[in-house]
Amino acid sequence: MSERAAVPARPSRPWSAEVAGALLRRTSARLGLAWIGLLALVAAFAPFIANSHPLYMVLDGEARFPAFAHLDAADVSWLAGLVLAFVAWRSRGPAFLRFAGWFAATALVAVLAWATVSPPPLVIYEQYREWEAAGRAERVVRAPIPYSAKDYLRDHGDTGMEPPLAGRDGRTHWFGTEDNGADVASRMIHAARIALGIGFIATGIALVIGTIIGGLMGYFSGVVDMIGMRLVEIFEAIPTLFLLLTFVAFFGRSVYMMMVIIGITSWSGYARYVRAEFLRLREQDFVQAAVASGLPLTSILFRHMLPNGVAPLLVAASFGVASAILAETTLSFLGLGVVDDPSWGQLLNQAVQSSTFNWWLAVFPGGAIFLTVFAYNLVGEALRDAVDPHTQRAGRAG
Amino acid sequence: MLSYLLRRALLMVPTLFGITLVVFVVMASAPGGLTAQSLVEGNNLEPEARKALEDYYNRLYGLDQPASVQYLRWLNNISPVGFERRADGSLGDFSLTKGPDLGLSFRYGRPVTDLLAERLPITLLLNLLSIPLIYAVSIAIGVQAARERGGRFDVASNVALLGLWSVPTMLAGVLSIGFFASEQYWRWFPTGGLVRREAVDQTFLPWLASGADVLWMLGAVAVVTSLLVWGVAVAARRPRRVGGAVLGAVLGYAMAAELSGPVPGVSHGMLALAGAALLGALAGIPGKALRIALAGALGLVLGVIVARASGAEVVQAGYLFDRAWHLVLPVIALSYGGLAFLAKLTRASLLENLAADYARTARAKGLDEETVLWRHVFRNSLLPLITVSATLLPSLLAGSVIIESLFSIDGMGKLAIEAVQTRDRELVLSVTLISGLLTLAGYLLADIAYAIADPRVSYE
Repeated sequence: MSERAAVPARPSRPWSAEVAGALLRRTSARLGLAWIGLLALVAAFAPFIANSHPLYMVLDGEARFPAFAHLDAADVSWLAGLVLAFVAWRSRGPAFLRFAGWFAATALVAVLAWATVSPPPLVIYEQYREWEAAGRAERVVRAPIPYSAKDYLRDHGDTGMEPPLAGRDGRTHWFGTEDNGADVASRMIHAARIALGIGFIATGIALVIGTIIGGLMGYFSGVVDMIGMRLVEIFEAIPTLFLLLTFVAFFGRSVYMMMVIIGITSWSGYARYVRAEFLRLREQDFVQAAVASGLPLTSILFRHMLPNGVAPLLVAASFGVASAILAETTLSFLGLGVVDDPSWGQLLNQAVQSSTFNWWLAVFPGGAIFLTVFAYNLVGEALRDAVDPHTQRAGRAG
Repeated sequence: MLSYLLRRALLMVPTLFGITLVVFVVMASAPGGLTAQSLVEGNNLEPEARKALEDYYNRLYGLDQPASVQYLRWLNNISPVGFERRADGSLGDFSLTKGPDLGLSFRYGRPVTDLLAERLPITLLLNLLSIPLIYAVSIAIGVQAARERGGRFDVASNVALLGLWSVPTMLAGVLSIGFFASEQYWRWFPTGGLVRREAVDQTFLPWLASGADVLWMLGAVAVVTSLLVWGVAVAARRPRRVGGAVLGAVLGYAMAAELSGPVPGVSHGMLALAGAALLGALAGIPGKALRIALAGALGLVLGVIVARASGAEVVQAGYLFDRAWHLVLPVIALSYGGLAFLAKLTRASLLENLAADYARTARAKGLDEETVLWRHVFRNSLLPLITVSATLLPSLLAGSVIIESLFSIDGMGKLAIEAVQTRDRELVLSVTLISGLLTLAGYLLADIAYAIADPRVSYE
């Protein structure tokens, strides 16, 4: 016990707090995180930013809140997720526990929402414009962008593509309209959900698979390692995009399917990292001590070894989110993405059609994809510097 | 070395099995997977004809058998030794000389081997053009950035490269087609394809009207190029930047004039400003070699434009020029991402080696910085670049899927998309096999190159 007193007193900050501090000192990381945060806000509040349903109106003398009445389970889950994220951020405790708590609570709310929330199944976007024109609706408060992502403006006839601010029929489309006549800005705002959701969940799935396979490979080595490495090699040698295409073409398209598919095609890199870390860690004393005291395998692998080998994994995951978003937009761009639901890649796909170039469909959705991928790459880069002991030492010395 | 190569080649076999098995399992376990019904589904046929067609496919490909049997049959077909296949689909005697057979494509009704022989060279052409370009440019940028760590070029190139790396391939493709190939903006390049129909019948090299025209063309190119190269090589930093900015402004104005007439407008001003900023910044690059290369490329293009504008008559552009002209946009769109990644890697690797003990020793014994960089550090810094070359090929193959479908180039990437969309079993498996083989060969080549570059590595 006296030995402990000999260690010079040092402010005991958990490692995660130290990394977070080092990360937030970098301007690039702050910019990247700010964009991602903004995107999360936009995604969560999408129904209040871009919606054909008015937020408030008085119809035939009766007050109504159509936008709130039409919130569906996904909307509720996103809003709850954002609120819970704020709660988790302000609460105390280990970072991992707070993250796990946030995830569990959000998942619970999502399940509850899917079971209970039931918006009207029939959605008629035109009726509000008709009511207003007929003088039945008064004091209408609309969202800043008064068009839903799937509002194809049928009451205005066959509108089709219009450049930004074309101003036909007194409509204002800041980013123009797409092939079917829907507002591009609204579609982009609602598509932020797909981009963020796919990025996080696909990377999460890939991380779980990669960590388990890589951990087993690194801990056992020998035959397990040999077989595992062949498996990693197989998944690395199939071009990911091609495997994705095959999966999507043969399994049909839905957002959840795509998350799973992108997840199970991109785990090989994580497995390599975890394997390398575990090969290094398993020789160390604390692991030997854990083995000697007869702890179960899962406890040794995930409670004792994983937290010490998580650094390169975090960096890889940050870049992984960027490539998952790219994978989704690529699939949508090639016409194999989600049907009808908005997606940035699908908007970009309409930019060049039969030799006409619709610049607003390239610049705005393409810019959104670029900024998001750039933001994750900036964060990944800064994170790599933050967890790298070399730059840490150089930073302290200088 | 030979035994190592042999061992590696043998290890590739189980991996290739695994790759095709994964893809086969995906196809077979899909709802409505691979059946004769799904093949004839689209055709509007009489019930009897449909039944006959289904039977025919079942006999030919064994589609009514369990998936495992189907996979084994496919393996038997592609392996060079195995059971011979009779015309009615049943298996014959064991033979050592039957040769591999990739089967018939469902959709095209042609042997897969023929299709691949048609498409593969096109994809390889795109990739083999991109790889040297990527390496040359990224090493030039990386060396320059590492040389003056923390300097203006280092910081600017670092941000620019990370940005470039984040640009999705399809965005780059769409924007380049939209602005430089479509009819609304500058029609400098073709929108797609690899060659114009007329160019096939033309001479290989460009054909000019007379000998005087040839001389005029060559003279103009030589004069413009040497003027630019001389300017960036000799002039001091400030006049260089001013000259670059003026030239950029003129070119920007000319671009706007081509689009909306010579009367100055908003677009003229903006493009002139953008051109001035771009060329001014490029002319300010501290590395002489990099500047000269850029000025040379610009001079070649400007020289041809000047010669044509001043009366050199071109009868036929020729096949070579036409092919190159079609390849400009796809190759750029394919290579910029890898370029950004490799340039960052080059910089990091050089910096690590420049700070190493042996570099300090070299400096301590009195060598100048140039010698330390090129004779000592450079070769060691190449090692990570060689390692990465193995992963470059798969990413380029994936990139060509997008590029080829965007620029409607009939390469293997486009074939892959068509194959999965039409559920063409034989084609999907063969494309998987070939791209897996190429990837593994890339890994092997990288390992060999590693041993050549680093004498400490041996595979004995």
